[in-house]
Amino acid sequence: MSGEQKIRSALYYLSVFIFLVGLPFIISFALGYKFDRRSFKFTKTGLILIKTQPSGASVFFDNMLLGDKTPVTINELLPGTYAIRMELSGHYPYFSNVTVEEGKVTRLEKVILFPLRADVKKLNKEVVTYFFIDEPKGAVYYVNDDERSVYKSDMDGTHFDKIADFQAIFPVPKKWKHSPDREKLLYYNTNQIGIVTVSAGDKLLSGQEQPFIINYAPGGIIEAYWHSDSYHIVLVTYSKIEIVEAKTNSIPVPIINLNKRNTSSFYDLRADTVYFLDSQKANDGLFYDNVYKLELNAKLYPFQEFMKLAPTFEKAGVKQYEKESKDQP
Amino acid sequence: MKKNQRINRNLEILPGALSWGILIFLVALAIWQPVACAIVIIIFDFYWIIRTIYLTTLLVMAYRKLALQKNIDWMALCSRLRPNNRWKQVYHLVIFPVYKEGLDILRPSLEALKQSHYQKERIIVVMAFEQRHLPAKEYACVLEKEFKPVFGDYVSTFHPDNLPGEKRTKGANATWAARQAHDLLLQKGIAFENVIISCFDADTCVNKEYFGCLAYHFLTYPKPHQASYQPIPVYNNNIWYAPSFARLVEVSASFCQMIESMRLEKFVTFSSHSMSFKTLVDIDYWPVDMVSDDSVVYWKAFLFYKGDYQVVPLYTTVSMDIAYSNTFIKTLVVQYKQKRRWAWGIENFPFVVSRFLNDWEIPLGRKLKRSFHLLESHVTWAVWAIIIAVIAPLPILWGGVFFTEMPISYNLPKITGMLLNFTLGTSLVWIVLSRIILPARPKDVSWFKNVIMLLEWVIVPFIIFFLGSTPALDAQTRLMLGKYMEFSPTEKSRKVV
Repeated sequence: MSGEQKIRSALYYLSVFIFLVGLPFIISFALGYKFDRRSFKFTKTGLILIKTQPSGASVFFDNMLLGDKTPVTINELLPGTYAIRMELSGHYPYFSNVTVEEGKVTRLEKVILFPLRADVKKLNKEVVTYFFIDEPKGAVYYVNDDERSVYKSDMDGTHFDKIADFQAIFPVPKKWKHSPDREKLLYYNTNQIGIVTVSAGDKLLSGQEQPFIINYAPGGIIEAYWHSDSYHIVLVTYSKIEIVEAKTNSIPVPIINLNKRNTSSFYDLRADTVYFLDSQKANDGLFYDNVYKLELNAKLYPFQEFMKLAPTFEKAGVKQYEKESKDQP
Repeated sequence: MKKNQRINRNLEILPGALSWGILIFLVALAIWQPVACAIVIIIFDFYWIIRTIYLTTLLVMAYRKLALQKNIDWMALCSRLRPNNRWKQVYHLVIFPVYKEGLDILRPSLEALKQSHYQKERIIVVMAFEQRHLPAKEYACVLEKEFKPVFGDYVSTFHPDNLPGEKRTKGANATWAARQAHDLLLQKGIAFENVIISCFDADTCVNKEYFGCLAYHFLTYPKPHQASYQPIPVYNNNIWYAPSFARLVEVSASFCQMIESMRLEKFVTFSSHSMSFKTLVDIDYWPVDMVSDDSVVYWKAFLFYKGDYQVVPLYTTVSMDIAYSNTFIKTLVVQYKQKRRWAWGIENFPFVVSRFLNDWEIPLGRKLKRSFHLLESHVTWAVWAIIIAVIAPLPILWGGVFFTEMPISYNLPKITGMLLNFTLGTSLVWIVLSRIILPARPKDVSWFKNVIMLLEWVIVPFIIFFLGSTPALDAQTRLMLGKYMEFSPTEKSRKVV
């Protein structure tokens, strides 16, 4: 055999040797085993996969900084819990205790590193004491109680314009609500209701469109809802559910008397229905809270007639919503 | 079907069935046992990397020999051999089987022969044309006029079509020509023992020292008639004009041949090669019904000498054409067909093994070893690129949630990537060597082509994908289905405008 062929043979057997020796290590590494040189045994390990948004964060593994930045895979981890900290300049750090199981991949793939200074933008260009959002129209409304002005802008603060003035009520309004036709705003406290027209733009307001206040002498308004006709207002008070027209000097018409003083209520504008909680006396003489549904839609209530009458529960279409109720009002 | 025919048919089916079996098994494994599939892929990747590093080392060793022997004055060495006149008795019979090649291809081949440093009176040239190719007579006349006076003898032969028992193969033409030469040598009274026959592809341009080198090895090899002599084929004739990917494929083919030259126990003749004319007559020439005549002739001699037959590597080059055409797609097709024809060498497997089964003189160990080498090399050729490029990602794609929960799903691409990065190192060696063996840039080629030739190695992965395994799998499938190939000559172009 020539010298070259001897070298070739040596290379061949060296290659076979490397293959046979290296293969168990490569396969065991692939399967998540770690060779422990002390015990001379393969131990099954797990791994942690870390991805951050944004990427490139430094990773501290049990307070030890790793060389790689995210996304990173930490291999050959013995089962147990490890403290992971991720740091990225200009972002809040992220901490987590991660439990690693043998032969499993533990994922930290949805880590968001939040910037230290969030992207905050001021929208109002005037002093504001209150605001509310008309989501369907994509508009922000701003209320300045001191100047009694209402402003409107787009959702990002552009087109910031004054749209109306309003009359002050005391104490300050607890809520502002748009009429369904988006032409009027309703604001109220316990004993006053203010109405302001907001759709007029730059044109002069007629007498009916001027801001006005309806005084509710009995007091105790808890909630006020627009009816879908954008003209009537449903009042839920300490003692009654009443309806009042959105015009100056209008007089509320009681619909239902309530036993519960601080009732809670919900108005379904699509069906013109009030859901409310009230206490009624049962046959056993005790009072129980029930949920009632009061339908106020146009089919049941020709509103012209309705304004003259104060119907009973049955006539008004009240349905009880507690199956186990001990009382039928 | 007779027993022998049945055995032969089964042996034809075996390589294709094995290759398809491996691929289908791995795909099934990727679907139902992705972890097992991933492990198999890692084992294969690791094996492939070690194999690549090992083979690249052999390539460097082969190149070193080529470089060392480049400047040897072989004629001087021949003249120093004892007895003194022995070398002067050696004749070179050179056969160029021609099919449709034109004068633009044939003339440079004969010109290279003319420039050879060997005594021309001891070179006998046989231009072996196909009778069915109409311009053959005209070409023969033109070339005879130019080259007949140059050589010891010069003959044009015209192989008739459709001889009984023949297929339209290069081997049939070469055999016809060799039989004519046989008669010529008898007429001239030249002993066959003193004749070395070289069968060259029509586009083969020999190195000036080729015949000296060949004669020296023939005269010094202990059993000169029990050996074939294989030069290193390089594809330098039109390398500066060929498209990038065709050039890369052929450079890789040259390197593979250099590597094979170092693995003597597996070395088989390929393309242009030489051997004793006596042996060629003894084994009844080349096969006339097989496409891969260049390797089958080796096996015929191997069987004739009961396993005591070698291929002696000659570290001198013969230059051939890179196969390409005038459009990218056509070149791709030309290359694909050429590689498929090379891969059709798998027809050697049933040929050899069926004869091994009926031979009781060749040692069993040698028969098993050679059969295994033959089968393993072709099956590996047909599957390796498909495993790396197509099957390797399947466990990750099809493994599902269970697989992705396991460390191997993350370690598989990592390990594969890491292992394949090792090939970058070997690629650098290949790039450097390809630059070294490159002939001088023709004057009409811009220097910028040098830059392109370096950058073109980037497309190697794409070439591997298209031309790595597919032609071999195609050839094995055809053999498996009994759709036998006939010889289709590769389209050669010296310069395509």
